[in-house]
Amino acid sequence: MDVQLKRGLMDVCVLSAIKNDESYGYKMIKDMAPYIEMSESTLYTVLKRLETANMLTVRAAEHNGRLRKYYKITDMGMNRIAEFMDDWQQIMSIYRFVTKEDTTNG
Amino acid sequence: MDRREFLSELGSRLNGLPKNDIEERLNFYDEMISDMTDDGLTEEDAVTKIGSVDDIATQIIGDTPIVKLVGEKIKPKRHLTALEIILIVLGAPIWIAVLCSLSAVVISVYCVLWSVIISLWAVFASLIVGSVGAMLYGIVVIVGGAAGAGTIFIGAGVLCAGVSIFMFFGCRAVTKGIIYLTALFALQIKKCFIKKEVER
Repeated sequence: MDVQLKRGLMDVCVLSAIKNDESYGYKMIKDMAPYIEMSESTLYTVLKRLETANMLTVRAAEHNGRLRKYYKITDMGMNRIAEFMDDWQQIMSIYRFVTKEDTTNG
Repeated sequence: MDRREFLSELGSRLNGLPKNDIEERLNFYDEMISDMTDDGLTEEDAVTKIGSVDDIATQIIGDTPIVKLVGEKIKPKRHLTALEIILIVLGAPIWIAVLCSLSAVVISVYCVLWSVIISLWAVFASLIVGSVGAMLYGIVVIVGGAAGAGTIFIGAGVLCAGVSIFMFFGCRAVTKGIIYLTALFALQIKKCFIKKEVER
């Protein structure tokens, strides 16, 4: 898959994993697992990128006597998801066109 | 490999990155391992699931901008003494020259690689222009009455077009290869900064 496209999709995936409620790294990976396999290193890079872009905020809270980082989506992050949904409509219509060409040729 | 070994190994492999970055990374993996063990995995399984230190370190170094690595490298680890500052100033004619020439070497390697790409595509473009030109000129010559010479021109044009089609695929493969090479080259340069720190 195109690197730029994949990067954008992973951003939206991670944002979607926290769109309803704040979450932490391991839970995000588990929640995403049925849909996309993301390594811990990749998740770290994506989280950093989203934090820099102000699409999420981070807070550390105590859990079982240790600190755990929780990630919360911002309005900008929600906008990014909405943007993705709009883009997806266009991509789907292109996809329908591409597959239609396939059936007429084949 | 248990958690402690994994984290200390990763930490030493990242030596050369800013301290804060290393700490943040290690905390992230530490938290992951804790959450995995809370979930029922053994520490060894959790570490295995995260992946090899080698792969992770390579990915992190690849993701870190080279400016950050160089910045960390040249940042003094303690306050410099007056003598050291004087030596740095007096040594400027030497170390600035060495730095300039090293940068020049790196830049020239990039230039050489890219000029190979540019020259290949230039040959490709000239073949296409040549083939169109020869065919058009051939038609003009035939209309002018010299059928033999015109046919030769058209034939040469078709030959150029044929060669250019083959060349397109060659050029594309070479371009891809060289882009891959430059990425590898950049990673190796970054790794130089990391390695030297570890050897100290």
